[in-house]
Amino acid sequence: METLKNYLESMFASLPNTVEVLKAKEELYTMMEDKYNELIAEGKPENEAVGIVISEFGNLDEVAESIGIGQMLQEYTYVDRNQIPSEEAEEYVQQYSQHRFWIGLGVMLLIFSPMSIIITSMARIGAFEVIGVAFFFLMIAAGVGIIVFTSINMSKWKYLDEQLCCIDYATANQLKLEKEAHRADKALLLTIGIALCILSVVPVILFSSLFKNFVFTEGIGPALIFVFVGIGVMMIIFAGGRETAINKLLALNDAHTVSGSYRKGQDMPDSYINPGIAGFMKSYWTIITCVYLIWSFLTFDWHITWIIWPVAAIAKTVIWNIWGAREE
Amino acid sequence: MGEISSDVIRGYNDTIILFLLLDSPSYGYEISKKIKSISEEKYLIKETTLYSAFTRMEKNGYIESYTQNSESGKKRTYYRITDQGRSYYREKCEEWNLTKEVIEHFITEGGENGNS
Repeated sequence: METLKNYLESMFASLPNTVEVLKAKEELYTMMEDKYNELIAEGKPENEAVGIVISEFGNLDEVAESIGIGQMLQEYTYVDRNQIPSEEAEEYVQQYSQHRFWIGLGVMLLIFSPMSIIITSMARIGAFEVIGVAFFFLMIAAGVGIIVFTSINMSKWKYLDEQLCCIDYATANQLKLEKEAHRADKALLLTIGIALCILSVVPVILFSSLFKNFVFTEGIGPALIFVFVGIGVMMIIFAGGRETAINKLLALNDAHTVSGSYRKGQDMPDSYINPGIAGFMKSYWTIITCVYLIWSFLTFDWHITWIIWPVAAIAKTVIWNIWGAREE
Repeated sequence: MGEISSDVIRGYNDTIILFLLLDSPSYGYEISKKIKSISEEKYLIKETTLYSAFTRMEKNGYIESYTQNSESGKKRTYYRITDQGRSYYREKCEEWNLTKEVIEHFITEGGENGNS
């Protein structure tokens, strides 16, 4: 079966990625599959069945002609795209995921940093407090350093944004499988991360009722908030890394790439017909957040302003329904 | 005698497919299977030829396609003949009768020289 699919993919490799082509491919595959299944049911060995199906398949020029792309095939100006080999794609995913880990670590250090001041100030000794402040700056420096370093390290992949790139069918397939396989990991990390953030206040509440000692109530308790939030945020940042990288690679293929074997996934960014709206929608949530904060701070009507969020979510759907570019 | 040359039969692929759709709608592989058995395995239609014929005839309004789940639960595209398709089929039949009549005059069992 894989052989037939690969054969068909290689036959279609020179055709553009349009709806007609995808439909033709699907139809032809169904016919090949039917024939193959029947040959197998007749007791033919697998290899022979594949051989027969392929030998009776015919010539694709005919199909191209009838679905009206024969002309296109000749005129097709072959945009030179940089095809990324599958090892390189894999390396990118690996490295991006590591990059997210380091970013998470950097952010975690930044969140941890106030901790040293809180704990050392408990001692109420000048020298200790100086050490606390020193640690505070040290952690910030380390955090920022890590983030800067890993970002510079990632800049070698800039060409993915700057050049026209594409990936082949096998790579796309492999990436999709990998994404599926990591779905559970991602969900788990995300859940634990969010749970840690929510639970961060628990130690403070617990310690203040259990201990009378102010080292616990004023020092370790509050410090633990930063530990919880820091680890939680780190996990949240790390969780989506692999998927983001895979989505980016999958999004390289579009209707203009040859070797069309990719269809828009559900979690690809929405596209809009009107470029103005597309630009607006890109920063939609940022704009909404700004409006929310400005409105809230100006009026201090926090009890009302939250209404912006559900309204914005509904508005987004409405905008999508009116101007969204759908794939038929 | 080997296979039929595809150049010769090309003009009649539509006729063959429409004939098979006259009674009931059908789908790709079933049609190719029927062509094979009715022609006593003398004509094997290629998948690409079949699909091109489907798209061309659908464009011309001779057939309509719809998707339906088959008995095995597999989603398949079925084709059904339209009234326009039926009249086109009749035309093609008449055309063939005429063609056959004309060509018949030039066919002889005689062998190399032809006009013996």
